[in-house]
Amino acid sequence: MEKIDCYIPETLQEALEILHREDVIILAGGSDLMVFHKNEPSLIPEFEKSVMIIRNLNELKGIRINSNGECEIGALCTSNEIAESTIVPWHLRQAASRMGAVGLRNSATIGGNIANASPKGDMPGPLYLLDARVKLTSLNGSREMLVSDFIIKFKSIDLKKDELITKIIIPYSERDFDYIFWHKVGTRKSNAISKITVGMALKFAEDEIVKDFRLSATSTGAKTNRNRDVENLLIGSKITEENISRVIEAFDQVISPRAMPVFRRESTKRMIRRFLSQCLLHPESRVIDTYDSYYVPGSPKPVFNI
Amino acid sequence: MIKDIDFILNGKKVTIKVNPLSRLLDVLRDNLNCKDVKEGCSEGECGACSVLLDDRIVTSCLIPIGAVQNHEIKTSNYVTSTEKGKIIAEAFADGGAVQCGFCIPGMIIAAYDLLSRNSNPTEEEIRLGISGNICRCTGYDLIVSSIRLAVERGGDIWKK
Ligand SMILES: Cc1cc2nc3c(=O)[nH]c(=O)nc-3n(C[C@H](O)[C@H](O)[C@H](O)COP(=O)(O)OP(=O)(O)OC[C@H]3O[C@@H](n4cnc5c(N)ncnc54)[C@H](O)[C@@H]3O)c2cc1C
Ligand code: FES
Ligand code: FES
Repeated sequence: MEKIDCYIPETLQEALEILHREDVIILAGGSDLMVFHKNEPSLIPEFEKSVMIIRNLNELKGIRINSNGECEIGALCTSNEIAESTIVPWHLRQAASRMGAVGLRNSATIGGNIANASPKGDMPGPLYLLDARVKLTSLNGSREMLVSDFIIKFKSIDLKKDELITKIIIPYSERDFDYIFWHKVGTRKSNAISKITVGMALKFAEDEIVKDFRLSATSTGAKTNRNRDVENLLIGSKITEENISRVIEAFDQVISPRAMPVFRRESTKRMIRRFLSQCLLHPESRVIDTYDSYYVPGSPKPVFNI
Repeated sequence: MIKDIDFILNGKKVTIKVNPLSRLLDVLRDNLNCKDVKEGCSEGECGACSVLLDDRIVTSCLIPIGAVQNHEIKTSNYVTSTEKGKIIAEAFADGGAVQCGFCIPGMIIAAYDLLSRNSNPTEEEIRLGISGNICRCTGYDLIVSSIRLAVERGGDIWKK
């Protein structure tokens, strides 16, 4: 067996040099990898390759608004840090606040959630919805791409061997929309992997015309679903009963849930109908609820700094 | 592959020679004799192995010891020797929160983490705060009411 080593770099430069010369497993929070590689109690987890622990790289931490007004989140930010930050877009805060339970949320990182590329992962949904980009860095420089392009398919990402995800950049927030929606259906409030999660956002132009409409759904196929053609069915038009049905039917063609397809398809339809028909009524609250209030007490309340 | 890992455990600096991929849980129990940290599910679901990492709750079965280099770990035995921790432990005992006791070190860590972020939680918030900790005995109600008792007994101490 090849010798398994473990690197604990203290700077990003050091980490990139290791990645440049060796094929290693990148370990951030470890909440996916440590379960995947777990061994019997008291025995060392079994990794097939050397491991580089990046959990403590300060360059990959912190959340800030950049000079273009976009929210930049370090790849090592944890779910709790994201949920608690008032400058992170609302949809992502909601998703982060409902991952696992509190202890897990102090380990799970956003970089790990994206790189894991699970169609049930909670963070890609909001990131697709808000056109978020990942920044990938190697010794040779950096590149950026949409999270929705970076995740190629189930468990597959466009990451080169010498690259690290360093940042996530989110150009939109709830301030760009009039109405917002995010709902995760799990079997319980904590430690529940999503059964289905839908995020939506809508902005009106003059005269009830829809200026922007976005819709993403998780746990509804091999990857997170968002489809611009479906959204374009509504953009530039008014919300009518007929348009709502067209959007619902078109999105139903996009998703491909394998397990529990009837439940997942019907729930998705209902959530879209609920959101759009509420938007039409111009309610005072910009957060459109499901029928039952789904706020988990203690989870972050929406913040609008307009 | 053995490395020197330095960290602060329960207020004291320690250096141990271990494989950095060993789980924090195993190092605490096997190398450092912290038997108050329990192993239940081994995959982050049950909370029995909860400890404080830089004063926030984490499940030690998911963390390789190498990630703890230069950080601070506190286990429940240490927490219950502090002023705040004592209040929680006594409230658990007086409130009948403990049956077999296996989940209790993790519950104490979860209660401590919750009260340090929220000095006056509602019942719902308490239930959410301990929702990563599974108890097979009590049905949770007496744990929840004991945490309320700790809130009342501690008063302003939780605001510090
Ligand atoms: C009890 C439990 C409950 C959970 N609940 C949820 C849940 O509700 N919702 C949810 O979405 N997930 C959940 N998860 C899964 C997991 O916690 C998340 O996917 C988490 O975000 C992973 O992040 P991490 O840093 O811990 O990943 P790690 O395990 O460290 O890494 C995961 C993958 O990402 C890669 N990676 C990590 N960081 C980088 C980087 N910067 N650059 C390149 N590659 C990188 C790693 O190489 C690895 O392939 C749960 C897990 C457990 C154990
Ligand atoms: S043993 Fe770590 S959470 Fe169950
Ligand atoms: S008291 Fe027995 S598991 Fe909680």
